[in-house]
Amino acid sequence: MTSLTDRYVAATLRTVPAARREEIAAELRGSIEDMIDGRAAGGEDTTAAEREVLTELGDPAQLAARYADRRLQLIGPTYYLAWWRLLKLLLSFVPALVGVVAGLVQATDGDNVGGAVGAGIGAAIQTAVQIAFWVTLVFAVLERTNTKLDLPAWTVDQLPQDRPERQITLADAAVSIGWLVIFTAYLPLQHFLSFVPARAGDGHLPILNPALWSFWLPFLMVVLIATVGLEIAKYRVGRWTLPLVVTSAVLDLAFAIPVIFLMQNDRLLSPELVARFDWLSQPDNLDTVATVTIVATIVIVLWHFAESIIKLRRTAA
Amino acid sequence: MASDEILRIHLQELRRGTVVVASLVALRHPDYGYALLQRLAAHGFPVDANTLYPLLRRLEEQGLLTSEWNTEESRPRKFYRTSAEGESTLTLLIADLAAVQTSMTALIQGVER
Repeated sequence: MTSLTDRYVAATLRTVPAARREEIAAELRGSIEDMIDGRAAGGEDTTAAEREVLTELGDPAQLAARYADRRLQLIGPTYYLAWWRLLKLLLSFVPALVGVVAGLVQATDGDNVGGAVGAGIGAAIQTAVQIAFWVTLVFAVLERTNTKLDLPAWTVDQLPQDRPERQITLADAAVSIGWLVIFTAYLPLQHFLSFVPARAGDGHLPILNPALWSFWLPFLMVVLIATVGLEIAKYRVGRWTLPLVVTSAVLDLAFAIPVIFLMQNDRLLSPELVARFDWLSQPDNLDTVATVTIVATIVIVLWHFAESIIKLRRTAA
Repeated sequence: MASDEILRIHLQELRRGTVVVASLVALRHPDYGYALLQRLAAHGFPVDANTLYPLLRRLEEQGLLTSEWNTEESRPRKFYRTSAEGESTLTLLIADLAAVQTSMTALIQGVER
């Protein structure tokens, strides 16, 4: 039967470089025996002393790391910030991009909206996990090989331009409001000036179903104008707050649900427009357009909602 | 008064570098790991065994200590001794330690309580 000391020395040597193993073993064993003798000389039982000495020396893997001068961390301070920034940068857009592309590809394949959204979310999650794993692995290897990263040193010029307490900049708000105004104006404009010429005679074909002017198109315009109001309120507050997040989600849904409902029932596009194009008038193709539109709408709403939640949490933190 | 945990961390930080200096001084007389541990403890430098043993090896690899196996006694022991290079490094370390002490004294006396 091997003694506890034998087992302790063996466990320590397991991760010590082979070249130095024997010498470390001899020295460590001697030191342990010295320590046991020291306690035994004080009148202690040898077996109890052995246990105490080994407990004092602690986890053999940790002792071995100290002998080998090896760091017990996955990514240390030298690389941590570079790792974290790269990870944040990649995670901020790559999974979303891959998810949208995967979802849209799936959407063109059939008219299964739920399946396409699921495929998009699944692809985004897989991409995020892969990015996190590989980036971390590369940095863990750099940490262990002590590779020099020739990153530019930090300078004061890198300080953010904006006042840090303002989350929503004037430029952000202006761009959002600009797009909303253009979009709102486009709804009536497309009825007269769609640039899709009628097949016979002159004039333009409306893109959206003119029958919707009785209620849905004015309703969507009201929602868009309300969203402009929300953007202005958000800019005045300077950051996302819980009421803003809720209002934003309600407005997004108020826009998206009618669009999805109308598209699903083939009521969104004007029948004249559909008849104008041979490709579009095939029921299968029209379904594909409907599915892609619906999936894109759902993804945009989810994305927007997730973004507002993340920014809300960031201000709360 | 800060909590025991905070105090413990600061004391540990304060003591960390002094173990190297104390070991280099003590090993002007050659000694093996456990005996050095006892001597340092007796002189008010309590060091954990799992810190000191790897430290001795590191100092040896840095050339600040030399070592020799002694097989005359009951069990073979590795004796460390401060090398010439270790001695010149030690001189600089002690000078710096004294400078820290001087600066600290001046600061303590200069600051009105």
